[in-house]
Amino acid sequence: MQILRKSNWEGFKKITKMKRKEIINKVKESGLKGRSGSNFLTGLKWELIGKGTRYLICNADEGEPGTFKDKFILENNPQLMIEGIAIASYAMDIHSAFIYLRGEYSYLKPKLEKIIKQSEIYLKKIKLNIEIVPGAGSYLCGEETAILESIEGNRPIVRRKPPYPSESGLNSNPTCINNVETLANIPLIFLGEWDNNLQLFSLSGDLKKPGIYEIELGTKLEHIISCGKPKKELKAVYFGGSGGCLPYEKFKNLRVDEKTISGKGAVLGARSLIAVGKDRNIVDISKTISEFFVHESCGYCTPCREGNFRVLELLDKIKDRKARIIDVKLLEKLAYHISDTSYCALGVSSTTHLKCALKYFKDEFRV
Amino acid sequence: MKKLDNLISEYKRGECKLITLFKEIVKSKGFLSFENLNYLSKNLDIPLAKLYTTASFYSFIPTAKKGKYIIRVCNNLSCNLNGSENIIEVLKKELKINLGETTGDGKFSLELTSCIGQCDSAPAMMINNKIYTKLDKTKIRRILRELK
Repeated sequence: MQILRKSNWEGFKKITKMKRKEIINKVKESGLKGRSGSNFLTGLKWELIGKGTRYLICNADEGEPGTFKDKFILENNPQLMIEGIAIASYAMDIHSAFIYLRGEYSYLKPKLEKIIKQSEIYLKKIKLNIEIVPGAGSYLCGEETAILESIEGNRPIVRRKPPYPSESGLNSNPTCINNVETLANIPLIFLGEWDNNLQLFSLSGDLKKPGIYEIELGTKLEHIISCGKPKKELKAVYFGGSGGCLPYEKFKNLRVDEKTISGKGAVLGARSLIAVGKDRNIVDISKTISEFFVHESCGYCTPCREGNFRVLELLDKIKDRKARIIDVKLLEKLAYHISDTSYCALGVSSTTHLKCALKYFKDEFRV
Repeated sequence: MKKLDNLISEYKRGECKLITLFKEIVKSKGFLSFENLNYLSKNLDIPLAKLYTTASFYSFIPTAKKGKYIIRVCNNLSCNLNGSENIIEVLKKELKINLGETTGDGKFSLELTSCIGQCDSAPAMMINNKIYTKLDKTKIRRILRELK
């Protein structure tokens, strides 16, 4: 696997001989995009950083159900990520970086602290301090501006943009927020022989061999899923909790990338594929996902807070065969209303799973 | 409260963040009590309401007393497909409590949690900061026996 390649600061040694602008241009030309699912050109993000005291935040708060690719890097090649932080910081003239480590991964903190300590000689060279900030169990804190609020010690409510963090982020200073996988790829760009299309996929669900697979974007859905060896015939593939689902048989020949998946009404996101067997009931699955959003909604805006609560109520009714036709219609209406009117991306994406389920598996929402 | 005072000084020097402070208190005391919050409020000169609204946002910062061991079972899609509901039933039966409750001896609390990123070894749960994966009935009984 490309992501397991050891760099041992070789990439860093190369960039210290380069001008800052050259580094940023090289990252930009590489085509590397945010691997959290945001798909924003990383080099451009670096270029857009404002003037003054700047900060870098490594977003290690992957909370999307079915996503564990960053954990894979943190467990198996964390040095690469730390080196990526150092390169990014040097390129943007940053001297204070944070790793926002999700509470669920706090067992990885001692390991990261050890690597940071071992890297002191390189970090000192560019006067960079790296602090690990622990998360405490909140899906919302994976959103870049919620992280800022969390680090500042506020209730992590998503900020309205603009201003973007690149101009006004942590403590109102320009801040660059990059994902673990994004940063881990940075040293590889400078080492050469790096393929931007090779990306990490988290495969789980009804599979015999769930796990992380490095697969080329554009690979057929069937080939991706076959890596995980399905336990049974599959009905659907879910793209995390918020990316929705596609019927497997119908789309198994689809070449998976951001555009093809969104063309069918789902969202590829952080490339988390959850395989769902033919014996599963889509209403049950919708309920499981809906419970997640009810739990994680921050309560700030009404459509997400109340809407998802009502969605769950309606799904319960349908599951118990107590629903009427009007309830299914209301469910569909609510799904669109919530995504159209919610304040932040969590709310907007909270019913994608339902919209896909109603699009492709409507017959299962029987009354 | 000496340790808490040290933490407060660290915070004031900008060496740690508020959330780190909260988590350290939870680590040593099990939860963030009203007294702790009040103490922090006076010493940090931050309104109590602001501290509470921040702390209470997070699932891993309890603001009420819980068991010595907080069991958090993941019931999101991947774990659910791999039988997390059975795991929850086994835990309920073994501990004789429902979700959201604490055993009479104050040892165990049982909760659900959102995805903990162990989907490749589902079903999974956390007990305090420790991760337990590929759970089944026998494994759960063994884990509980070791903690009892």
